[in-house]
Amino acid sequence: MALGSDRSLSRRDNALFFLCVLLSVAMLLRPAFGNRVAGYVRDTVMRPFLWMQERSEQSRATRSAFDRLRAERDSAAHAAQFLSSLRAENQRLRSLLGLEARLPVPYVPAEVLHQSAPTDGRTLILSAGSRAGVKRFDPVISAGGLIGVVRDVDRDRSLAMTWTHPDFRASAFTMPAQVFGIVAPALQLTGSDQLLQLRGVAIRDSVPNGTLVVTSGLGGVYPQGIPVGTVIGQASEETGWERIYIVRPAANPENAEQVLILRTPHDSSVARAFPGDTAP
Amino acid sequence: MISIRADRGRLWAVLALLVVLQFAVRPDLPYPRVAPDFLLLALMLYAIRSRPGVAAVAGFVVGLAVDAVTPARVGAGALAHTVVGYLAAWGRAVFFPDNLLVNGIVIAVGVWIRNAIQLLASGPGVGGLPMELFVWSPLQAVTTAVAAGLVLLLFQRWLDIRLDT
Repeated sequence: MALGSDRSLSRRDNALFFLCVLLSVAMLLRPAFGNRVAGYVRDTVMRPFLWMQERSEQSRATRSAFDRLRAERDSAAHAAQFLSSLRAENQRLRSLLGLEARLPVPYVPAEVLHQSAPTDGRTLILSAGSRAGVKRFDPVISAGGLIGVVRDVDRDRSLAMTWTHPDFRASAFTMPAQVFGIVAPALQLTGSDQLLQLRGVAIRDSVPNGTLVVTSGLGGVYPQGIPVGTVIGQASEETGWERIYIVRPAANPENAEQVLILRTPHDSSVARAFPGDTAP
Repeated sequence: MISIRADRGRLWAVLALLVVLQFAVRPDLPYPRVAPDFLLLALMLYAIRSRPGVAAVAGFVVGLAVDAVTPARVGAGALAHTVVGYLAAWGRAVFFPDNLLVNGIVIAVGVWIRNAIQLLASGPGVGGLPMELFVWSPLQAVTTAVAAGLVLLLFQRWLDIRLDT
């Protein structure tokens, strides 16, 4: 009897295990279903835990960042002394060229809630959500440069897809040569450096090492001029239709603690930023 | 009966403490990439005291929570934690669970297996798989095993074990 009961328990154990594996595989194979479930869990069960983590991050940031912030404030105050003259000069040059004033980009500061999973860094939980005005596809930057883009938004938190995520893409160009391309993560099975690739560069264009790569503003997600990284070499391209450059990223999502979410004014027209003769 | 209920209550208290450590204390620790994973530690402490089926379900629930906050590839965390929970429960039959070193090694191996499955199921990343598997994951496994040793030493009566160090 005991043996039969043990056997029955063992069968039930195996059945439960295979059911859990099946559900996990279903979520892996159907990302839309998996993301819906994850979003629901994040917004309900995980809400108090994330709140706890957010309070902890804020208190740590307050303690550890005080000296750094004071130094940054002093540097900013020193730089601001020249701001008014630079503004006046910029305005004069813009009026000479017939350009309107630069569009302001409002932003929301947020803490990064890092997790313990090994894939942390491909996505980041940020401590600002729709209540702070964050929307899907808002760009996320740090002091160094581009981090990623907001993928999902809850009431008090948002989820950012960073440049280390396999699905990440951004239109970019080099400065000062203005060679255009698409930035994507350099996915690799071996190696240890976290790098980006500048793909789709025309075969006639060449980019020297050390060139700065910034977002181009094309595509309407990222504003122009956010630093992406620096070119450090060229990758081999088998088909010979394009050049691919290796880019060392300007900012690392795994080390980011505070970020800025740029609130792109999706509903506003950008036509006023262009002079009359080039407007469509 | 009352004793069993009290033991279960103490176990749940330790597990709750580990969950609080994960979300309230872990963010304060330096090097988040290698800081101990208290959530996985809680799962393994629960799993080695449960039947494999129950441990698999517990693993799935913990994995789903991990996927919800790290949704690079939803399902990878659930799969990895399910397998680790199930194996930890089965493993109880083959290792001597009252030895501190053995407990530490089992938990370290659990962390490494979880990371390996989650990384493989999530697809290639920018950091390179060998670096993740042979540098970062072992470091996290060691820190988690050390945390497990401290928890077991502090709460050995609550967890109803006699440690043979």
